[in-house]
Amino acid sequence: MNKSIRTLYIALASAFALLVVMLGYWQVVAAGGLDERADNPYKMEKQRLVDRGRIISADKIVLAESVAYREKGKKYYRRYYPQGTLASQVVGYATPQQGATGLEQQYNRYLAGSYGTGAILDRLREETKDGADIRLTLDTRVQKTAEALLSGRKGAVVAIEPKTGKVLAVASSPTFDLNQVTSDFASIRKEPDAPLLNRGTAGLYPPGSTFKVVTAVAALASGKWSASSTFDDKGVYVVDGKPIYNSGKAKYGLHNLTDALTFSINTTFAQIGDTLGGRKLGGEMNLFGFGRPTEIDLPSGEVATSGRYRDGKLLPNDQRDEDASRIAIGQENLQVTPLQMAMVAGAIGNGGRMMRPYLVRRVITPDGVVVKQQRPEEVDSVASAYIASEVGRMMQSVVSEGTGTEAGLSGLSIAGKTGTAETGDPERNQAWFIGYAPADDPKVAVAVVIEDTSGTGGTEAAPVAGEVMRTALSIGPVPGEPTS
Amino acid sequence: MSLRSRELGFLIPALLLGMLGLAAGASARADELQAGPWQTALGVALVFIVMHAVLRLRAPLSDPYLVPILAALTGIGLAMLYRIDPGLAGDQAIWVTLGGIVFCAVIVFLPDQRVLERYRYIIGLTAVLLLVATMVFGTEVNGSRLWIEVGGGQRIQLGELAKVLMVIFLAGYLREKREVLAIPTQRRLGMNLPAFRHLAPILVFWGAALVVVVVLNDFGTALLFFGVVLAMLYLATGRPLYVGLGVGLFAVGAMAIWAAVPRIGARVDSWLHPFSDAQGTGYQMVQSLYALADGGVVGPGFGRALLVTEGGNPRIPALETDFIFSAVSNDLGYVGAIGVMLLYVLLMARGFAIATAARDGFSKLLAGGLTAVVGLQAFIIIGGVVRLVPLTGVTLPFMSYGGSSVVVNFGIAAILLVISNRSRQGLVEAVRGVPAT
Repeated sequence: MNKSIRTLYIALASAFALLVVMLGYWQVVAAGGLDERADNPYKMEKQRLVDRGRIISADKIVLAESVAYREKGKKYYRRYYPQGTLASQVVGYATPQQGATGLEQQYNRYLAGSYGTGAILDRLREETKDGADIRLTLDTRVQKTAEALLSGRKGAVVAIEPKTGKVLAVASSPTFDLNQVTSDFASIRKEPDAPLLNRGTAGLYPPGSTFKVVTAVAALASGKWSASSTFDDKGVYVVDGKPIYNSGKAKYGLHNLTDALTFSINTTFAQIGDTLGGRKLGGEMNLFGFGRPTEIDLPSGEVATSGRYRDGKLLPNDQRDEDASRIAIGQENLQVTPLQMAMVAGAIGNGGRMMRPYLVRRVITPDGVVVKQQRPEEVDSVASAYIASEVGRMMQSVVSEGTGTEAGLSGLSIAGKTGTAETGDPERNQAWFIGYAPADDPKVAVAVVIEDTSGTGGTEAAPVAGEVMRTALSIGPVPGEPTS
Repeated sequence: MSLRSRELGFLIPALLLGMLGLAAGASARADELQAGPWQTALGVALVFIVMHAVLRLRAPLSDPYLVPILAALTGIGLAMLYRIDPGLAGDQAIWVTLGGIVFCAVIVFLPDQRVLERYRYIIGLTAVLLLVATMVFGTEVNGSRLWIEVGGGQRIQLGELAKVLMVIFLAGYLREKREVLAIPTQRRLGMNLPAFRHLAPILVFWGAALVVVVVLNDFGTALLFFGVVLAMLYLATGRPLYVGLGVGLFAVGAMAIWAAVPRIGARVDSWLHPFSDAQGTGYQMVQSLYALADGGVVGPGFGRALLVTEGGNPRIPALETDFIFSAVSNDLGYVGAIGVMLLYVLLMARGFAIATAARDGFSKLLAGGLTAVVGLQAFIIIGGVVRLVPLTGVTLPFMSYGGSSVVVNFGIAAILLVISNRSRQGLVEAVRGVPAT
């Protein structure tokens, strides 16, 4: 019987070995993933114990910091946002109850101090690091200007640096106070104008005529037309028996491509789209990043994909059965984000090279060690330098003598394009302006959208864009330490 | 060094471990250095010292490692209960004292385990009666009917006692029948099988195990009973075929029950996909997995994990009983949890060593069976906690909160020590030329 006893012991001991393996899976291998699950109460509880890092703007203004307090003899931290409503959708909140959004979520690992060498090694050493500060590209001076201009209206402003992709401002109106999230979340969420929504990155709008910039690039790239190619406008262009008119039923007669963009002549761009066809135009859209998620350092749920939608579903850019002439003038189910359009303008200004937009340029530990440094990256070359400069010249003409004169600044050359997407209700136009300045050496590119206005892109959005660009061009570097 | 001095040498550090655990838990609770519930700690230590003294007097040749292992498991268990709720540790200390009394009583009044063989059928019948009594008079708690109400609002789990009685009966029965079971007399379905009348009791147990599941709604006890029957059948006959056959039959039965009894079905589903209903049926398991993940490799230490809410409620339902191992893993991490599992493996090693050293078939089967009961029970509940097997409500021997379990397991340890003492005594007498009694 001793042999069976031995075998039984080996069997049971092996079963325990299996337990050890399985337990190791939960405590070591799967632990990281489990710790990060949203409903993990440990995660929430631990959050209160962490001295999270600060979120600091490019001009060294503190946007988020942790404040210590004591409760039942234990030291806890809560989040405080000194600027309250400023850039609230971008900064985001981090609370045990509502979870985290915006940069608070995207950079949680760094802010909460759980970055660095492999998670397993960290667990082994049980080291808790202090949260690291994140330094933004966003400048509160540009951000404040944009938010002030949007105040009382619904809409968004996105400002980026064309040569680097640095995001200078993402304003979304209406806004909300980050400090009231813990106390008033239910009422903030119920507000009809959705202040929690980041309209700059997640708001989808029909681009209207701003899309003609993409069509113009496609036209030049096809080799069929140049900036001086002539067209004859008869006031209407008919596709499949349906007429396309110019804004205000205007008739322009003989003109060239530059004039067509300057005065936003629908019939000419419809004709170009029709001639190019859906596949050529769709290919151009692919290059510009339409139809795929925009890569920016924000949570993926807070960045919408620009492209063509039907019944809420994204369609391929070059689906055959669509009407290329209407896509060419920014209609036909096109839905885009201000961020995407700012990138379009920026790419034209940057010689056809589209840069990846980013909000955080550096992550620094409390000891001053830089743990992450973002360098400019090119997403794609969307147009040759020649084509970009040609389209840029046309866009300059838009501001100097066309629909975008309201954006003009004395002594500065601006390139831009207006857009007015009509909804059928004359009081509810979506007014657009995209552009960059200075035209010969761009330092800032913007996209502005104003919702539900009776005005046009030229009257509503262009002045906002002009003012934001003026601010962006006037700010200098800020010395010294961050201040609240 | 004598066996008993060696025992004392291991017992003292084992007891200190528990005391330090209690003090650490108390310090974590108060956020300053504290001695903890030293009266409780000293009381329990005294119980073990008395057990040691009784062994010195009445079973001096018994295995010296078992009691220190028990002390370590009991101590860690007490420390865990204290950090969950100090009141639980107080209750448990009383149960441990009762267990110590039962332990000493067995050592004193059962000098030779072989008397038990004579009463095997009465003991077997008693086991069945205890189970039937539970079915008839039992009180339902958390959907399972495992408890009998006794005076003063106390409940006892007769199934725990039935478990030991069943092992005694099986040891006697199989010792008697092992030859006929080991030698096949017929061929059926391509397998060499013994005569049906010898196998019948095994089949009866199989049926009874399934009845226990359905009537008592207790999958864990059924699994334990059945596993022990198979283990002992294998010990007696050395034929793996029986184990295979038994596992097959159990699988068939379990599948049928899974399909037929919704509660069991839900339990299996929440085992396979706990996250699909993390706030409902999977809640307990998901919370436990979060606790394991939080523990990590080394854990924050006794009483430092966030196992209990600020209001004093455990985050995991049944934390002090079924999920005590989650508490260990959370507080002490992977390393601490492996330590506890090693203690159980060590316990089995000693138990099976006692079985190997025993000088007659009945004693071997009894020691092997009792060891298998404790080892299997620990495996079933830890396996449930780490999601290796479906979760079933059995206690973790010596650690879970609960009087019946603690008292019975102390009794099991005592019987093992009696067997151990007896076989060494026999050996000594044989060497001296004294005929064995």
